Amino acid sequence: MARRTKIHVGLEIGTSKTCMVVGEVKADSAVKILGIGETKSAGVRKGEIYDFSQTRACLKDALAKAEDASDVEIGSVFLAVTGAHIMGVNNRGTFRLPDGEPVVAAEHVQEARTIARDVHIPQDHVYVHPIIRNYWLDGLEHSTSPVGLFGKTVEADFHIVHGIGTRIQNSIKLVRETPLEVDEVVFSPIATAQMALDREQRERGALLIDMGGGTTDYALYLGGVITACGCIPVGGDHITNDIHLVTGLPFSKAERLKVTEGDASADPLSSVGSVKLEDERGFADVEVNRAVLNEVIRQRLEETLRLVRQRLPAGAVESIGGGIFLTGGTSLMRGFSELAFDVFGRDIYRPELPEISGIQANFKDPRYATAIGLIRYAQILETERAEPPGLIGKVARLFWPFGK
Amino acid sequence: MIPYSRDPHQIIPSCAVKIIGLGGAGANMLERIALDGMEGAELLALNTDIRTLGSCLAGDKIQLGLNLTKGLGTGGDPEMGLQAVLEAEQAIRESIKGRRIVFLCVGLGGGTGSGAAAIVTRIAREEGAFVVVFASMPFAFEGKRRRDQAETALNQLVVLSNALVTFDNNRMGELVVAKQGIHEAFVAADHMICESIKAVIRLVVRPGIINVGLDDLMSALRTNRSRCLFGSGMATGKDRAVKALRNALASPLLDQGTLLKEAQTVLVHLCGGEDLTLFEIELLMQGLQKFVPENAHVLFGAAVDPAMGDKLSLTLISALPEDSLAMAPREALSRADDADNPELDPSQGFTNPPASKPAAVEQAAQPVPTTKAEEPTAPAAPELADFRRSLTVAAAPSLVDKEQPFAEHALPLQTAAAPEKKATAMVAEFIAVPDDKPEKIEQYLEAKPVPNDDAQQEKAGSLMDDDLIEDPDEEHEPPADDAGNMDWFGEKKYEQDQEQGYHEETNANPDLEAAGFSSLPPKRPPGTMPWSIDKEPKTPRANDAPEPPKLKLGIKTNSPQSELSLDSAPRGRFEGENPNVFEGEDLDLPPFLRKKK
Repeated sequence: MARRTKIHVGLEIGTSKTCMVVGEVKADSAVKILGIGETKSAGVRKGEIYDFSQTRACLKDALAKAEDASDVEIGSVFLAVTGAHIMGVNNRGTFRLPDGEPVVAAEHVQEARTIARDVHIPQDHVYVHPIIRNYWLDGLEHSTSPVGLFGKTVEADFHIVHGIGTRIQNSIKLVRETPLEVDEVVFSPIATAQMALDREQRERGALLIDMGGGTTDYALYLGGVITACGCIPVGGDHITNDIHLVTGLPFSKAERLKVTEGDASADPLSSVGSVKLEDERGFADVEVNRAVLNEVIRQRLEETLRLVRQRLPAGAVESIGGGIFLTGGTSLMRGFSELAFDVFGRDIYRPELPEISGIQANFKDPRYATAIGLIRYAQILETERAEPPGLIGKVARLFWPFGK
Repeated sequence: MIPYSRDPHQIIPSCAVKIIGLGGAGANMLERIALDGMEGAELLALNTDIRTLGSCLAGDKIQLGLNLTKGLGTGGDPEMGLQAVLEAEQAIRESIKGRRIVFLCVGLGGGTGSGAAAIVTRIAREEGAFVVVFASMPFAFEGKRRRDQAETALNQLVVLSNALVTFDNNRMGELVVAKQGIHEAFVAADHMICESIKAVIRLVVRPGIINVGLDDLMSALRTNRSRCLFGSGMATGKDRAVKALRNALASPLLDQGTLLKEAQTVLVHLCGGEDLTLFEIELLMQGLQKFVPENAHVLFGAAVDPAMGDKLSLTLISALPEDSLAMAPREALSRADDADNPELDPSQGFTNPPASKPAAVEQAAQPVPTTKAEEPTAPAAPELADFRRSLTVAAAPSLVDKEQPFAEHALPLQTAAAPEKKATAMVAEFIAVPDDKPEKIEQYLEAKPVPNDDAQQEKAGSLMDDDLIEDPDEEHEPPADDAGNMDWFGEKKYEQDQEQGYHEETNANPDLEAAGFSSLPPKRPPGTMPWSIDKEPKTPRANDAPEPPKLKLGIKTNSPQSELSLDSAPRGRFEGENPNVFEGEDLDLPPFLRKKK
């Protein structure tokens, strides 16, 4: 069905930057990035907001820039959330068909889904996504709903992402105060995966690691469906902090050192000699031994990757066929791929660029992966919900062609 | 109120304390003690190398091996060290005579230190002194041979000394930041040894309100074949109790207090100025409870010393069985041979006949805690007083007479027991060896004639019978030999060349000797040495194998993960946040600093 062009906006309030991406989903499902509004974040630590007034100011700035760049008035956004409290669990709901009903009916499937979703989560947690992974009919896997098939037992496999309710509510509240509507809340790695992993890679098994400023988010896809996701509250900021603590350099210099000189590969050649940092104000130069610098960086990154590996279900890494995809700002660290290979022993890739048109320079950068992924997510959601709008909806569209 | 004055006799005057530095490393420790100022205590330096000896700040100096090494070092050969010290036995005996406590500082692994330590300890014991040995073990990179020599000497010292405190040089890296110079690392290590000596002196010399004495010290160190755990901390200011405890636990010998977890007996000694409060003691002991097992025997002592001012010093002493301390795998490896084979344990050669002696000593130590607990304000434990008097009065009731038999039959025992013991030991070794290292047998078979030759030498009065057993092993280690260690300093190499040269032509060239190698009188004030003119007054540690500083990062012993103290370490920009703990590790701290591999 030919549909109108729709505009989606993805918003990521990250630890290091707040980023708003305006994307246009054309009638033929092609995505075009219209503009990006980016500003440095303040008041966010490890992916969670701790200073609302500062973050609000950043958000307003990003909104203004995004509207400016895309020439679109933004009314609602898809919001990416992250934080160590968010985690994913798998659960399977089994429903046995009542006697005398040999064919699976829609309500049977619904019942199985309800059971599957009824997973035990902590009291203060809420569901972020209940994602259906696949269905099983009498022990046979079905990737689509088995309604209309013969069977006795219907099972539904769910991946349920949940997190502390109040924290997610507060993020939404912040955006609403801007004021913007929130279309949907999406767990960051799931959004990123929409952009970074294509269908084939997900089929063969792929692990996405998005290492950002304050958190490392990961999502594992096996057999085309999400198997695990989560967030480790360690990111690029920690590397800067480590360098600061070990060498005693101030943060600004530590950050510069990390970006310009750091190398996480264990290549001894990159650890020869020392780095000299010149002070523009004429104070004494500082000299840092490369071996120490690289060791600090490497140990931090290695530990983080090992934590990711530990959290994956047993045997999952071995069944990754597609490879491991690194994205996020910290993945730009030199030697990170080599390190990741040392840890996981799988092929390491940078995500391929999806078929997106627009200002290339912007979305080539892995730092925008999540925000752009949100557009993809919105698009997929859109096709899933592609029920034709009713009469009121049609009338409404005349006045407001964007949004739902 | 009845005025009460303390009996002056109960205080051991510090002039009755002698601190001996043996060998190159010992001299360095001694120097540090001299520089840090040890009021009253006499310092005695013993060395074969007259250059080191000449530049030493000690008041007394005795050159070892006047005729044997002729003023040069032993070249890393303990046998030479042994012979050298035997030459000077009389002089040492005279110097020690009448001292009640002798601290022996020695760096094991080299020739003089490893060879002579046991003899010096024995002499001191024979003179009736209480001997506390501070021994530093060689670096792991110095090689197996030196490690073996050190272990051998240590095994003897365990038996001979009253108390043994071991410092592992490998741990030295923990004393200083990786970046700091090697010089500072050695200074820090020596400083720690010095602090320990001071603390032990404080412990035994000053009578306390709640007294601990030699007896308690010995029962704290009693575990057989044990290594001493030692921590000493000093602090001033408002929360000095907590700070002192933290400083004491920071001692590398304690591994942040984790090692105390297995201790059976812990001696805790507090010394403070006149403002020491009971509350502080309580606070400190509460803090300590976390590190000490519940059923451990805590020997507590407290003393008030006006000289401490507003300082509070805490001393923790305990001992662990050796095997539970075997942290470094390399260390464990080198010790494996001995441990597998009880026959080889040289300590038995000494312990078996005079077994009554340590037992008696322990008995003397036993009743103390009970009586002390009842009357903590007693000016001094009666046992201690006994002991002290026993030293001054000839008719000694407790310790001295028990020591006398030891001294008497120590020597005949050596000569008599050595050959037969060696025979059994050899047999035992042959039986034990095939299990782990078949190729080693061949080495032993090939080397068999060697010990026979040595056996004759041994009858000349050698003490180190166990060293002989290890000899065949040594014969097959190509890089070991006299050089022992690689020539880090060209100077040392030169020295060795010279030394060898002299050995060949000692007789042919008597005038060279006269030039000043052996003619050094035992006590010559520093500065008049023929060598000290063209040399720096403080010679670098030529004797105990200096190492290039860059190796220091690599030799970190893989000790167990130290306990994480959440509030102590700085956390940079994550300061003040909830600790980001995952599986017992604070993720906000750099893994680099957590020493994670």
